[in-house]
Amino acid sequence: MNGPLSSPWLTIRVQFVLAAVFVVAAVGKIADPPGFAHEIHNYALAPGFAVNAMAIVLPWLELVCGLALFVGLARRSAARILGLLLVVFVIALGIDLARKRPVDCGCFGTSKVEKTTEERLRDMKWAIARDVGLLLLVGQVLGATKRDERG
Amino acid sequence: MRRESFWRDAVALVALSVAAAAVSNLAAGPERKLRWVGSYASSGEPAPGSAKESAPANVPTAAVVTAPSGSDAGKAFPPHPDKPWLEISGDDVALLRDRGALILDARRSSVYREGHIAGARSLSVWEADADDKVRGLFAEGRDQSAPVVVYCSGGECEDSHMLAEKLYRVGFDDVLVYRDGFPDWQKRGLPIAKGDAP
Repeated sequence: MNGPLSSPWLTIRVQFVLAAVFVVAAVGKIADPPGFAHEIHNYALAPGFAVNAMAIVLPWLELVCGLALFVGLARRSAARILGLLLVVFVIALGIDLARKRPVDCGCFGTSKVEKTTEERLRDMKWAIARDVGLLLLVGQVLGATKRDERG
Repeated sequence: MRRESFWRDAVALVALSVAAAAVSNLAAGPERKLRWVGSYASSGEPAPGSAKESAPANVPTAAVVTAPSGSDAGKAFPPHPDKPWLEISGDDVALLRDRGALILDARRSSVYREGHIAGARSLSVWEADADDKVRGLFAEGRDQSAPVVVYCSGGECEDSHMLAEKLYRVGFDDVLVYRDGFPDWQKRGLPIAKGDAP
């Protein structure tokens, strides 16, 4: 990637934005693992035996990768892992949206607000759009830091 | 600047995350702790191994049969060993509560403290001690064929059904799910208690 899109000035700010989003998202889930397990279960996609392990580990993976991006350590690996998580989130939301199964995203922890089916489905579309936007930011970091990776 | 190696760094990040998660879960209190291996069914499916060995193989174990509603004082709620649960209305729950039936709140403990059916015990299906509490109920020597009412938040909430599955698996034959859950109880203006005590 060349030009202004790969400038260090932009890249460092994109890293900060991604770090902030994932750290905030992680903290809410780390505070309440059973609530996050509940959200994962509601998607009806993960096998029952894996729900708890996902709820325990995923928020920490978001936190550690977010902090890595913030301090600029292992940032390409952190960005790739976060990109992979975003792809998984988009696919999961997309599948449930396609089968009209309303779920709370669970992206920033457990929602305590009661919502109608229509509101949930609409929020799922917004969550997908947000995740795609974050994927573009991940792409910027990966494109701008390509030269940093050992061949 | 240090040259990055994707695989080495990725493994380090994942390992650090798993280690931090394990420590965090180990240090968590009962309301935050999770067992690493969950024992949940996929949504809408009976839990693995939920069918009792004595149940006929051709009986759908998660079938939902709605008990007839009404407030007949002489109404019976007979055991249904071939089905994990039956759904009942608020009238039936009020009747069973008056008769002293065991009522279990499947919502999170923190939500239970904010308000629950007076007399209901907390047994959050999402907290790590859920299986121990279920086994504890069994160990209390309760009549396994007596009605047990479970509820959560009604609507799309499935926690009460999940708890019903767990109770059925340890031998309770008359588990009744309050279909409309706590919001309906509130609407009816029936007795509510707050705090940790039933």
